[in-house]
Amino acid sequence: MKGETEAKVLIIIPAYNESANIEKVARHLKNCAPQYDYLIINDGSTDDTLRICEREHFRYLDLPINLGIGGAVQAGYVYAHKNDYDIAVQMDGDGQHDIAYLSDMLQPILSGKADVVIGSRFLKKEGFQSSQSRRIGIGILSLLIRLTTGHRVMDVTSGYRAVNRKFIDIYAKDYPTDYPEPEAIVTAFMHRGRVLEVPVKMKAREGGTSSITLRKSVYYMIKVTLAILVCRLSYGFRRVKR
Amino acid sequence: MIPSTLRFWLIAAVVCYFVIILYLLKNRALNLKYTLLWLLAGVVMGVLVVFPEMLMRIIRVFGIQSNMNGLFLIIIGFMLMILMALTSIASRQNMKIRALVQEIGILDKRIRELEDGQGGSADRKASGQEKVSDMDGASGAAPKETGGR
Repeated sequence: MKGETEAKVLIIIPAYNESANIEKVARHLKNCAPQYDYLIINDGSTDDTLRICEREHFRYLDLPINLGIGGAVQAGYVYAHKNDYDIAVQMDGDGQHDIAYLSDMLQPILSGKADVVIGSRFLKKEGFQSSQSRRIGIGILSLLIRLTTGHRVMDVTSGYRAVNRKFIDIYAKDYPTDYPEPEAIVTAFMHRGRVLEVPVKMKAREGGTSSITLRKSVYYMIKVTLAILVCRLSYGFRRVKR
Repeated sequence: MIPSTLRFWLIAAVVCYFVIILYLLKNRALNLKYTLLWLLAGVVMGVLVVFPEMLMRIIRVFGIQSNMNGLFLIIIGFMLMILMALTSIASRQNMKIRALVQEIGILDKRIRELEDGQGGSADRKASGQEKVSDMDGASGAAPKETGGR
């Protein structure tokens, strides 16, 4: 296995109307993790996100049409696949995810212990824990994934993830569309991926608004529940082994 | 029994239906692949209108009382099938558009890098050699994106 210095790492940052945060996030990345490549995916933003990326000479992809978070993240995986990266990390463009935990997340992949690493805010219960109603929703989805795949993942909606080369290829071809995080975990298990959670502290978002409003949360739960079941079914009865 | 006046108009309608489909096909406004279901529906409608006895038999099998209700039911069934086919076509096209948009984004980045004359190596602490392999990777992987068929 390659060491931390040799592995080619790409940090994927999907950004839709994140002009309030993106500059800070990218600057922070450039300063604190200059050894890694990063790539902002401007997902057809209608605000100044693109202009900021241009002005600051960030590394970015500009998608001409808004694809939603799933399509944007997948664009990053396609890029990582084409440019031969060893590890891809996805983190939100709103500053919730702390770059300080990056090496904790890379370690299990570099040592070959895991294929997919999820930064989980519930393992040590530190930092921003989200509202109670959301935690209940996450708990339900977590239970559902446990019932359908037999594996336990606590923070199924965390968008802070690292995956190895095998899953860069898989996600480049097959990544769910909207609200993709829980479904992508099921996809990982169905490809016999070893998924590992690593404790991280998350911050409350610094600016802008979250993409999930109260009005959308009912749709969110129904859609994700169905998506998990369909995803599980579409892979048939293939046994998943560790 | 279907009244003969109604039968006449139904036959005329089915003929019209076929003329329209064939006209659209001839002008290449319809893809033959997606038209097969429409043609099949037309054939079934035509057969049932010309030979109403068959319709009676089918209807009796399902225990439907009225002939016209049976006809409507069959037509609605076909419409549902066609709508489902359309939804599936729309979904597949959605996936293709998604792949295209991602590809455009990646190409856009490459063009920007080429225009800058830096090949992305300036901000990637890399030499010119990596730039070459970078581009090989991109062009080599491109033909893989061919979708479902």
